[in-house]
Amino acid sequence: MNEPLLAVRDLEYVYPGGVAALRGLDLRIEQGRKLAILGSNGSGKTTLLLHLNGLCKPTRGEIRLEGQPVSYDHRALNDWRRRVGLILQEPDDQLFAATVSQDVSFGPLNLGLSNADARERVREALEALRILHLADRATHTLSFGQKKRVAIAGVLAMRPEILVLDEPTAGLDSHGVTHLLGALEQLHEAGATLVFSTHDVELAYAWADDVAVFHDGVVLRQGETVAMLSDRELLRRARLRCPLLLEVAEALGVEVSAASPFRSREALLVLLQERCAGQG
Amino acid sequence: MRAIDHHAWTNRWRDWHPVEKGLPAIGLLTLTLILPPLTTAPLVLAGVMLTTVYGAGIPWKTLLSVLAAPATFLLAGIPFLAISIDFTSGFALTFSPEGFQLALQTMIRALAAMSCLAFLILTMPLTDGVLLLRRMGVPAGIIELILLIYRLIFVFAERALTGRQAQAGRLGYSRLDRSVRSLGLLGGNLFQRALEQARRLEMGLMARGYTGELRVLTPRWKLSWMRLAVGVAGVSLTGLASSWLARGLL
Ligand SMILES: Nc1ncnc2c1ncn2[C@@H]1O[C@H](COP(=O)(O)OP(=O)(O)O)[C@@H](O)[C@H]1O
Ligand SMILES: [Mg+2]
Repeated sequence: MNEPLLAVRDLEYVYPGGVAALRGLDLRIEQGRKLAILGSNGSGKTTLLLHLNGLCKPTRGEIRLEGQPVSYDHRALNDWRRRVGLILQEPDDQLFAATVSQDVSFGPLNLGLSNADARERVREALEALRILHLADRATHTLSFGQKKRVAIAGVLAMRPEILVLDEPTAGLDSHGVTHLLGALEQLHEAGATLVFSTHDVELAYAWADDVAVFHDGVVLRQGETVAMLSDRELLRRARLRCPLLLEVAEALGVEVSAASPFRSREALLVLLQERCAGQG
Repeated sequence: MRAIDHHAWTNRWRDWHPVEKGLPAIGLLTLTLILPPLTTAPLVLAGVMLTTVYGAGIPWKTLLSVLAAPATFLLAGIPFLAISIDFTSGFALTFSPEGFQLALQTMIRALAAMSCLAFLILTMPLTDGVLLLRRMGVPAGIIELILLIYRLIFVFAERALTGRQAQAGRLGYSRLDRSVRSLGLLGGNLFQRALEQARRLEMGLMARGYTGELRVLTPRWKLSWMRLAVGVAGVSLTGLASSWLARGLL
């Protein structure tokens, strides 16, 4: 098997207070795919993501970037964080500057780019998230959804190879979710590897290529989305429900596999119409 | 605070170079402080208020509410200057014309000076003003600190507001003693969360390569010599008109 872009082995992390948040987990992040880290609240997803770009140093275990064990010295960390961009769940934890374009320029300037290049990166990132019109707005006047997109733009402007998002859809309304996923899908098509954490099985089912089922500080299993989410025993152990679409497909006797996915409400409606027409 | 900030970010002159707004405002402020107040201050006050409302498009209501607080203080002070207490023959309150004149001068001068500052805070976001300070040579560390505090004030204000609403929803403010208790709890809670927020913000910044310096792009203003000239001309005219008036009156 190919070497994954980022590989985590036997990772363990104990918070200073003594809470063991990660308890010896393995994870593979493959080039060019969308990976969902799926687990219930408090299962340790955020803690895991903080390890993926070296913000937390594991108590035990190993992380490899393109096969090379990572090191935690200053220069290596900078390079690592340029390649793996992490977006926190709460945009207010990430936005610090007074205006949108100032905030987005922070990362590029830290990369040592000139003002002109940084300005270009800002424009490019805002455009990718379709928020160029917000460039000169004051950060504190933005809506939650807008802040979230600005936070992503701020990381995107550093052109990371892997984009890691903590609960990207949490707190967004359905329009906000559609808008955000549309923008992320475009980045993915342009070659970005995406990793996101979520407790939402429907989202993971609809959107991820692969799922890592997470429970209580360990990855129970990682693999192709349909295979993971149709494993009832696995979901039960992780205290997760089966996605509605998969249950419906099962009830209707439709074969679902990675090759013939049945993932959107449109697909469901088409199928129901066919069935009704067949009966009528 | 919210209203002031809102107009500062959205007024008609938002995109002007800070110098174009700062120089005339500081010029008028200086005139107010050095020229005879009874002729200068009314001119400045009227000029600045009209400019703020009809030029920058700030509503009268907002401008007046910004000026109302200092005006109230000033009004409350007048009696103390205009009335003198005489203890020589027992106790007597006397109205002193000189005192009244002094009180009037002080009041109108202070109000005119306030209007210049009100113009600045209503048309220029704090961040622009601070960047102006940077160009004047204030150290970067201090500038970064001011800007960060400015941003965090809004984050915490939001938390405080939702926290208060949550407490009010559970009748935390239904009596005076409960109010005191609730406010205390809210304060303590906010402080803890402020520390937590600082920790997470640092992580968020580190994820973007933070190494102790908060460098961002400064906006690219274009200084319009035309607008600057108009502003300076306005200040000069005010100064001339006031001196001329003063000579005529005195
Ligand atoms: N800063 C912290 N200090 C101590 N314990 C923490 C801290 N952050 C999280 N934890 C604990 O670690 C566990 C995993 O938390 P987290 O990674 O936030 O989970 P998730 O993101 O899946 O909801 C939880 O039990 C939580 O209480
Ligand atoms: Mg979390």
